[in-house]
Amino acid sequence: METDEQARNRFQSELEFVQCLANPNYLNFLAQRGYLRDKVFVNYLKYLLYWKEPEYAKFLKYPHSLHTLELLQYEHFRKELVNAQCTKFIDEQQLLHWQHYSRKRTRLQQALAEQQQPQLQPPHGNAASK
Amino acid sequence: MRSARSDANMASSEKSTKERLLSTLDDLEVLSREMIEMLALSRSQKPPQSGEDNQVLELLVQRDGEFQALMQQAVEQGRQQQEMLRLEKELEKRDSDIQQLQKQLKEAEHILATAVYQAKEKLKSIEKARKGSISSEEIIKYAHRISASNAVCAPLNWVPGDPRRPYPTDLEMRSGMLGQMNNPSNNGNVNGHLPGDALAAGRLPDILTSQYLWQSTDVSMGMLPPHHGNEFGPGHNKENEDDVEAMSTDTSSSSSDSD
Repeated sequence: METDEQARNRFQSELEFVQCLANPNYLNFLAQRGYLRDKVFVNYLKYLLYWKEPEYAKFLKYPHSLHTLELLQYEHFRKELVNAQCTKFIDEQQLLHWQHYSRKRTRLQQALAEQQQPQLQPPHGNAASK
Repeated sequence: MRSARSDANMASSEKSTKERLLSTLDDLEVLSREMIEMLALSRSQKPPQSGEDNQVLELLVQRDGEFQALMQQAVEQGRQQQEMLRLEKELEKRDSDIQQLQKQLKEAEHILATAVYQAKEKLKSIEKARKGSISSEEIIKYAHRISASNAVCAPLNWVPGDPRRPYPTDLEMRSGMLGQMNNPSNNGNVNGHLPGDALAAGRLPDILTSQYLWQSTDVSMGMLPPHHGNEFGPGHNKENEDDVEAMSTDTSSSSSDSD
């Protein structure tokens, strides 16, 4: 029925689409245009869950999209996405989470640097104040 | 056999051997007393009443016979009683043995059931682990892919105002395959630069020439999506393509807001 070329194109487009779902603004766009209320679209979202399988997941560059896909299976979530405030909140949280590891790393580096400081200058007045 | 029958008789008449023995003894006592009285009388008085003392003698003999028989019976019954007690004791012992065995069997069954259950659980988890096993090389490759492009971890020099995001931005979405599908003016150059946007965002070349395109055309050549035979509805499953192009420039404005 479907040629290999068509199947490959479909793979590509579905890959792109599923990753677009990681963008909260796009979600808001979809919600406001009523796509999230469409039963057919909801079925399509359920079909897209195949991206969770390891052999497909390895192609995802933006793993946040899988989490969003899972959340999109719930009607309550889909309803809430109409509000711009909701998507703004999601966007902020997503960014903060995204920055979590780099913050953790900088903190670790700072802690390491602080640890090495007293070793370099042992008989210092500051060491006592610590 | 006789004693069995007499037992039956005894049961029906509800007289125990002991009672019968005692009553027979009583009879004997009475008869012998009469005998002695008659003898005493016959000493003092001449005319003997021969018929009576014969009767009494006969009765005495009969009673004596009965007494002997009953004694035999009593002995027999005593022996049987002993036998019964012995058997009962043995029965008790066997009973306790059986109960002990039952307890042990139950315990063994319990232990075996637990062992089998735990073994099954282990097998299940082994199966699960085996199913989910991925080569470490692949995992490392994937980790490198998603980290190098800052998809899961923000770049260390990220400040609010940086257009980079953990999701595909407007620009990336429009320059992808879905975005190009509805653009007839494009001469099939899927990853080409859109002139207007290239000016707007200086980062465009970086994104598109990044080694790990989010469209993965290079990596996914052999990969096909699962068949779905249009069960979503009559031809509605491609409607998303229109949206990518038509999406308004709702810029990720949070970057310019206070973050």
